[in-house]
Formats: sequence, C-alpha cells, structure tokens
Amino acid sequence: MLTITNLHAKIDEKSILKGVNLQINPGEVHAIMGPNGSGKSTLASILAGKADYEVTEGTVEFEGQDLLELDPEERAAEGLFLAFQYPVEIPGVTNTYFLRTALNNVRKHRGLPELTMSEFTKHIKSKVEMMELPSSLLSRSVNEGFSGGEKKRNEIFQMAVLEPKLCVLDETDSGLDIDALKVVSHGVNSLRSPERAVLVITHYQRLLDYIRPDFVHVLIGGKIVKSGGPELALELEANGYSLIEGELAVAA
Amino acid sequence: MAPILMESSPFASHFADLKPLLEITGPAWLQSARERGFHEFEAVGVPTTRDEEFKYLPLRPLTEWKLAPAHGATLDRQQVAKLTLGEIDAITLTFINGQFAPEVSTDDLLPDGVFVLPFEDAFLAMPETFEKWLGKVATTSQKLGTTNDDRFIALNTAFLQDGAFVYVPKNTKIVRPIHLQFVSDASVSPIAIHPRVLVVLEDHAEAVILESHVGQTGQYFTNPVTEVVLGAGAQLEHVRYQDETDSAVHIGNFAVHQSENSVLNSIVAQFGSAIARLDATVWVGGSNAETWLNGASVGRGHQRIDNHTRIDHALPHCQSFEVYKTILDDHAHGVFNGKIFVYQDAQKTDAKQTNQGLLLSPTAELDTKPQLEIFADDVKCTHGATVGQLREDALFYLRARGIPKKEAEALLVYAFAAEVFEKISEPSIQAAIEARLFQKLA
Ligand SMILES: Nc1ncnc2c1ncn2[C@@H]1O[C@H](COP(=O)(O)OP(=O)(O)OP(=O)(O)O)[C@@H](O)[C@H]1O
Ligand SMILES: [Mg+2]
Repeated sequence: MLTITNLHAKIDEKSILKGVNLQINPGEVHAIMGPNGSGKSTLASILAGKADYEVTEGTVEFEGQDLLELDPEERAAEGLFLAFQYPVEIPGVTNTYFLRTALNNVRKHRGLPELTMSEFTKHIKSKVEMMELPSSLLSRSVNEGFSGGEKKRNEIFQMAVLEPKLCVLDETDSGLDIDALKVVSHGVNSLRSPERAVLVITHYQRLLDYIRPDFVHVLIGGKIVKSGGPELALELEANGYSLIEGELAVAA
Repeated sequence: MAPILMESSPFASHFADLKPLLEITGPAWLQSARERGFHEFEAVGVPTTRDEEFKYLPLRPLTEWKLAPAHGATLDRQQVAKLTLGEIDAITLTFINGQFAPEVSTDDLLPDGVFVLPFEDAFLAMPETFEKWLGKVATTSQKLGTTNDDRFIALNTAFLQDGAFVYVPKNTKIVRPIHLQFVSDASVSPIAIHPRVLVVLEDHAEAVILESHVGQTGQYFTNPVTEVVLGAGAQLEHVRYQDETDSAVHIGNFAVHQSENSVLNSIVAQFGSAIARLDATVWVGGSNAETWLNGASVGRGHQRIDNHTRIDHALPHCQSFEVYKTILDDHAHGVFNGKIFVYQDAQKTDAKQTNQGLLLSPTAELDTKPQLEIFADDVKCTHGATVGQLREDALFYLRARGIPKKEAEALLVYAFAAEVFEKISEPSIQAAIEARLFQKLA
C-alpha cells in the first residue's frame, strides 16, 4: 500500500529525514517510536503533503501512485488520513459544515453521490456515539476552544467518517486521559480491516496495548535504525533509546 | 469671493436649483436648518487629502463627475428585490434616488403609536419629535476631539427632503423587522443623493432595523445620514448593508444617541461602491449602556473602503465591544479608524476594540488607526489590530481532509467575515447577508 524508499527531506536548509525506508501492506499496523525531534512528525507531514518540506531524495509510492506528485486534497481523496499532533483551530467554520464538505469532496472523487445534510447526519450518527462526542462539539467551530482530549477525539471521529485506506496517527495518545485513550483506541480499532493499514506515531507503549502493532520501528536522527515486533516497544519502554543509540555508536 | 476650490463643487448650483422645491417641503424651521447646513458645508467644501479626516480618501469624482441633483426613477418589485437582499419579510420603506416609492414599499398595520413613515407623513404625524431630534444626534459639536468634521452631515441636511422615520413608543416591542431600503439608479447621468433616516425608540422600546443601500446602475454620489435615539432601556439591532454599484461613491453617517441601560447592536456590511466611507458614531449618554459595533467589509479591484467608528463614553459603568473586519483583494485599499473617547465622568468604562484585516493579494492595503483618548482614571480599555493573510496551517488542515484549495480558501475567507454576521439575531437577515457574502467571494 505504502512504500517509502530512501526518503531525504529538509526544511530551511536543515536536513531532517536522512534516508527513511518503510513498507506498509494492507491490514498491517505499524508503530514508529523515537526521541523528540527525530523527524516523526516531519515524516507524517510529508506523507500528508505539507508544502514546507523539501524532499531532496527518495520516493513515496501509495497505492501504485507517486504520492509526492499529489496535492494534499488528492491524497486525502485517495485514502490517506493524517490525525494531526496539533489539530488546527478554524474559527467561523462549524465542525459539521467542514466535515460534510470534506466528505462530499472525497465521495465525489470516489464516484459516490454527495450527501444531503440529513443523509450526512444519519451517516455520522454511530460514529459520534462511538467517539462519545457531545453534539455541542459538532455545531461549534472546528477545534476552537476544544480541550486537548476533545481535539484528539475529533481527529479520530473525522477519520471514522472519511474511512481512509491508510490512517496515520501522530501522537494521538498524548494529552488523553485513560478513558479517552480507550475511546480513541476503540475508534481506531473499529476501522481495522484487511484492506486498511494504520501507522501510529507514539512515545508510549500504553497506546500499543490497545492498538496492537504488527511492526515497531525506531526513528532516530532522521532514519529508521531498528525494526521489530511488538516486543521492541516494551524493550524501549524499559531501557529508553540510549541502548540503541549506544549500539549505533559501536557500529559506526 | 469664493475660493477656486468651491467653484468646482457642484453643490452650490444644486442648492440654488432646488431651493424653491425645498422651501415648500416640511416645516419652516427645516428650511433654516438647510440654510445652516449649506453654509457650513460651503465654508469648507469638498474635502481634499489635506483635510485630516479625509487624508486617505481621494474624492475627486465629486468635483469631476458633473453631478446633477437626483431625479426620480422607477424600478419594479423584482428589480429592487434582486438588488437588495431578496424578499425579506419586513415592514418595508423603499426610496429610489432619495424619493419614497410606495409601489415597492409595504403598507402594514402597525401597533398603536408606532410609526414607520416617509418624512412627508412624519412632518405631520410627529412634528415635535422630529424637531426635537433631527440634526441633534449626527453632530460632533460639544464633543471631544480636534479633527471633528461634520461637513457631509451638513451637506445632507442642506438637501434634506425625503427620508425614513421610525418611532417606537415606550415599552413597545416590534417583532417584525423594519427594512429601510435606499436604491440608486443613475442610468441617465451622474447624480447626487442625500437620503436621511431618523429613528426614535422611547424608553424600553425594542426594534430590529435593516437599512440597505444598493444601486442599480451608473455613477452616483450618495450621502446618507442616519440618526438614532435610544431611550432608557431601549434595545435596537441595526443592520446596515451597503452594496452600491461598483462606480458609486458612498459617504455614510450612522449616529446614535444612547440613554441609560440601552443596548445597541450595530452590524455593518460594506460590499459595494468604488469609494465607500462609513462613520459610525455613538454617544453613550447614560450609565449602564451597552454598545456593540460589528462590521465586515469586502473590497476588490480598485475599491476604497473606509470604516471610521467613534464611541463617546460620557457616563460611568458602560460597556462597548467593537469588532471590525476587512477583507481586501487585488488593489483594494481600506482604512479602519476607531476612536474611543472616555470622558472624565465615565469611570468604570469597559471598552474593547478589535480590528482584523485579511489581505488576499500583495497589492491590497489596509491602514488601521486605533485612537483611544481617555480622561477618566478607573477604566478598562483595550484595542487589538491584526492584518494578515490566510492562515497556512488552517488551509493545509482543510486540504488534508480532502477540500480542494480554492474551496478551502473561500471557506476561510467566508468564515472570517461570517463571524461578524453571526451577531445578527434575525435569521432571515443573517441568511440573506451571508448568501450575498458567499456570492461576493465566489
Ligand atoms: N519549520 C522548521 N524550521 C526549522 N526546523 C524545523 C522546522 N520544523 C521542524 N523542524 C525541526 O525538525 C526536527 C524534527 O521535527 P519533528 O517535529 O519531525 O520531530 P518529532 O520526531 O515529531 O518530535 P516530537 O516527538 O517532539 O513530536 C526538529 O529538530 C525540529 O526542530
Ligand atoms: Mg512530532
């Protein structure tokens, strides 16, 4: 589904990604862990199409297409979804209007008819309940004045409504209380299917107790330096990154 | 001997031509008021950019266009509806080129003591109220300030002939909105129009007024003056919608006198005109009054859109909240000047002014000038001004959810302005203005 090959990227002459390789197949759940500033959000933003970064080398293929050639809206329509680490507040645009506009654009792209307001309301009902979103949040401006946890729940709610093929979650667990963590994980798990893949970026093992990954990768200094199964996350939780950084130093 | 500048102003000849007609319109005191207005204007003439209050506003069209006095014109209901905000269910008075047009107005049965009348009838129905207030609200004489400039109000008074009069007696609430619409049609030649409105809400009266200024075609100069008197505890929502033709010059004045415990909710939409200026001026002359001034302007092409607000806090314990937003594209130029005067007696005043500009092109320009003059010591006054482009992070967020760039941009611009129109409590008016805004941005 997604193949990242030797990806290098920089911003303002500062190189951040230094040769990332990653292969994600349908049905798989991958987790990326790594210290602050190692380039995790950069990778996620590049996948979503943020223009600030310059890709200097490498390729990204998504569903047989050159992902880097597509506009952000085309990527979304093709089925890529990024749950933002810091969801953006948009005063004056109501959450429902925004989401219906987004959904109808995505549906148009997929050759499906647009939904009227009442069809849309029906379409989202079960998802609102699943994410335990109070209805007042739907009529408010997008993310404006939402608590940290509400913003994260809203991201996963949008994901559930847009039904993407590849879900990229950038630290969706940070700032969540224990109950909200369960709600969010449940939302993600409900989307899991043999056709869909998930890429979770996180600092904590705890999220991975709820969303069980098939593969765990460690990103340090703009490179994936180690990959393994779920046990790698436990190992990191116990020892931190110093052990791996030590191994790298020895190898170098 | 008149200076050369004045000879090029067309208004002296208009005044001479119209005098016989004006003299027989309305009570005798009105003719003296006209004479005073005319002399006050002629003493200073059409402003140039050397006049402080008009420093940024070139008004050459007023002297170059060969303006004629307004003449009658007829438009049918559909034409008018297309120009204004569509069919809004309201008590409606329509004026075409300044003249009352009964065929496109409504004839409503109003509650006892309520009047919504053209001046001709108001002179007869309420002569004392008329004389008591006309010209007393729209004036800066006796007020603080060193650059006070009432010349266009004086010019309007000089030509005062027809207009709209609204009167709501004590403890009366009018539920249906009142729509005062002023339509200009300069298909024959460039004309000058001086519409006038007087609104009096007695103690604890309530009303919603929509005042719209729109144009059918052509070059014209319109100089509307609205005066509003709010008695103790009176509540007024006033929506002022300006969508003149794109070659019009619109110099508007909206002046309010507030008594204690009164509430003014003013919402201004400025969409049209080649050159538009509005002075919204509020005299807060009673304690515990609340003043809300909201405005959103959209300028494109080479449009000039200026908004000047002025709040005089004369008495203690009053609150004012002001939010003005300006969206400019292409080579449009805008000005926001927000004056707040807090008089010595006005302790515990709480005044908040916010001004935001959104520039959609590198050649658009917005000049903002907050001007707070405070003579009391125990007050809370804040102002904030921001001018910026569309937020990249918001744009990316919308696109990342599948909304195409153009649509995402329009949505953000719309949202920026729509926040102002959310202050309109009357759903039909709010929807109509938001629909116009959407068209404007499409
Ligand atoms: N606009 C920018 N200008 C300069 N440096 C930037 C910019 N954006 C990101 N960086 C730098 O790139 C590096 C990688 O940032 P990134 O946000 O990808 O890290 P991260 O792995 O997501 O970290 P965290 O765990 O703290 O979220 C950091 O050193 C950051 O300071
Ligand atoms: Mg990050």
